[in-house]
Amino acid sequence: MAEQLAAGSPADAGERPAVRVVLADDSVLFREGLARVLAERGFDVIAQAGDADQLLAAVRREAPDVAVTDVRMPPTNSNEGLLAAQRIRAEHPGVGVLVLSHYVETRQAIRLLKDAPARVGYLLKDRVSDIADFGDAVRRIAAGGSVIDAEVVAQLLRRRDDDSLAKLTDREQDILELMAQGRSNAAICAKLYLSPKTVETHVGSIFAKLGLLPAADDHRRVLAVLTYLRGS
Amino acid sequence: MLTTRRCWLALFFAAALCWIIGGEWVSIHAGVPENHFIDSLGGLSFAIAGVIAADRRPGNALGPLMFGYVFLSYLGNWGNLRVPGLPVIGLMGGQLTGAVLAHIALAYPSGRLQTRGRRWVVGVIYATGSGVCLTLLLTFDPRASGCPCVAEPAPFPSRSGAMTALLVGQRSGIVLVPLFLAAIWLRWMRATPAERRDLMPLWLAVFLLAVVYLLSGFASPDTTGDPFAYLIWELQAILTVGIPAVFVWGLLSTRLARSAVGDLVMDLKRPLGSGELRALLARTLGDPSLGLFFAVDGHDMATGHDIWVDAHGRWVSLPESGTGRQARTATIVEREGRPLAALVHDKALDSGLVRAVAAAAAMRLENERLHADLRAQLDEVRASRQRIVEAGDRERRRVERNLHDGAQQRLVTLVLSLAMLRDRAAADPELVRSLDQSTAELKQAIAELRELARGIHPAILTEEGLPAAVEALADRSSVPVRVQANFDGRLAEPVEAVAYFVVAESIANIIKYSRACAARVELSRSNGMLLLEVADDGVGGADVSAGSGLRGLADRVAAVRGMFGVDSPPGGGTLVRAEIPCDG
Repeated sequence: MAEQLAAGSPADAGERPAVRVVLADDSVLFREGLARVLAERGFDVIAQAGDADQLLAAVRREAPDVAVTDVRMPPTNSNEGLLAAQRIRAEHPGVGVLVLSHYVETRQAIRLLKDAPARVGYLLKDRVSDIADFGDAVRRIAAGGSVIDAEVVAQLLRRRDDDSLAKLTDREQDILELMAQGRSNAAICAKLYLSPKTVETHVGSIFAKLGLLPAADDHRRVLAVLTYLRGS
Repeated sequence: MLTTRRCWLALFFAAALCWIIGGEWVSIHAGVPENHFIDSLGGLSFAIAGVIAADRRPGNALGPLMFGYVFLSYLGNWGNLRVPGLPVIGLMGGQLTGAVLAHIALAYPSGRLQTRGRRWVVGVIYATGSGVCLTLLLTFDPRASGCPCVAEPAPFPSRSGAMTALLVGQRSGIVLVPLFLAAIWLRWMRATPAERRDLMPLWLAVFLLAVVYLLSGFASPDTTGDPFAYLIWELQAILTVGIPAVFVWGLLSTRLARSAVGDLVMDLKRPLGSGELRALLARTLGDPSLGLFFAVDGHDMATGHDIWVDAHGRWVSLPESGTGRQARTATIVEREGRPLAALVHDKALDSGLVRAVAAAAAMRLENERLHADLRAQLDEVRASRQRIVEAGDRERRRVERNLHDGAQQRLVTLVLSLAMLRDRAAADPELVRSLDQSTAELKQAIAELRELARGIHPAILTEEGLPAAVEALADRSSVPVRVQANFDGRLAEPVEAVAYFVVAESIANIIKYSRACAARVELSRSNGMLLLEVADDGVGGADVSAGSGLRGLADRVAAVRGMFGVDSPPGGGTLVRAEIPCDG
């Protein structure tokens, strides 16, 4: 499934201007590898950074489409990558951020989305193993969407294993999960082999059953769904 | 021995009494115009004080000095006997009484002249007196001065020589008294507060007497003719009565202090709060700055000395014996040959009194020592337990960081390399399948490593603190957990770690055993304490003593000086509570 989706994207990208990316990670090996992979996928990796300060400087200088950053970086090795991402979203609304981490926590995901419900992504670091999916995620952020790791969503769904979710059909639950990951209706159609009309009907039904107000756009929908799932 | 000494003392006293009464009787018969009552009273008070001093302070020179004073001052009275040689000796005795008095004042209360300055001053006074005596002995001719009685002439009779000597003897006070007063003043300046308390009354009397002596230096040597000289002379006599009285009072006040030991014994019978024993001893001894320390078992490894602690079990070192105003000294109380406690007190305190107080309080001191010893050991055990737990947490953080920066990062980089290989091997389906398999294995390994690292020390705790880490626990729990925290800041690392593991273990227990439908975690911070509660609506019946998990939590919380409790009635859910000091 992912391959099909991926197969379409680079072809489109070939016509549009390449997505400009800044990478930040304290491991040079990982940074270089990721840069190469992204470059091969048609991305324009314009700068690399070893810590949060370098990342912020590069963003200020280059105004990229997306900044990809690790959560934990020197000097304190705690969450400066996350803080830098929030600062970038606040100071440079046009720059999307994708935060990578060895661990994903729903709290961090929701905090990122709350500050800026669009142009943010939060993924497990080993998602880079699926290059096509990863490239797609960067592109979705560049295009103004949001990406939330499937692990976060799965965790929330496990937790909200209550009556409200039982009201949903299996199909609706699949769609809810994809919505929570930040997929657009079009992407959900492609993933589940459904017509746009069918997906829209399902989405409407999910919102009605969960008692949620219809969201203005795809990425606000992510926050609404995640917040609902988290029950806070 | 004691009785023999007392017999001798009684004999001495009787002799002194005879000497005084006899002398006075002679004076009366000779028609000497003076107040015989006051005069005898002065001698009598010195004799009594001398007996008390010799009895209470054997080996102290003050007793003999007082007897000496009595002997010398009544020589003059006996000199009125019409016996050859006696008048001269009587005159000489009068010259030396002042010197003895100065000696007594400067030697009080130890009986010794403790500094070179004092010895020098007393020496000069004695030398002057002796010089006058010698001159009198050589030149005074009683017949020449109109005494009809005595036959023996002086070797070098010279009326003017004798008169000069007498005049010098009297006028020398103008120099000697200020010298003496200076010595007294210096002694006062160097005295400790307790010494001053003892010295004050005596010195007041001595000071007045010295002033009167000084005035007498300006009076005529002829006390019978000149009213001013007579007044001065009588004043001297009255004050001379006062001095031994004050001295006796000083001795008795030590006695009074000893009777305070009796009160102390009564006070020691009631239960004492912490620090009360020291206050009680300080009051009894009249030394508010009294220090009370205890010897604990064992010796200092470095010096081999005994180890001393205060009432709180903190290590202290005893002061070296010093001199000067602030001099403190330590009296060690022993029990069965082993040091028990040390009283660090003003050096001037009567050592007999200190020992009496220590003996009276020995049982209590032993008790307090055991307490202090226990507290010292407990403190050390607590501190070492805290160090061990903190070292463990540090180690966990280090391992987690090493995994994060090392193995996890390498494996993710490796997964990326495999993905790149797979991209290039697209033409070879066999290779692609094999690479996919390896990638799946590797991702599984990464996931397992992630869980392992999370169990060792969760990254979110390091990154975002306790409430975030607890929420992350709740996010992962299969039983719904509601988290409430009234703060979002950071706490000290050991506190965060202990609190996190309490919540983590409690939630794990809820999932495993409680069959609960819901649970809640509450974190609140107030008055320097972190209060945490984990409650569920499950089957209850958890027992701290049974499982090693809860027991381990209790130990961990205790290690950071917190309180831990579990309330888990069968069928009534479980409430785990911990209170941990978190310094504001």
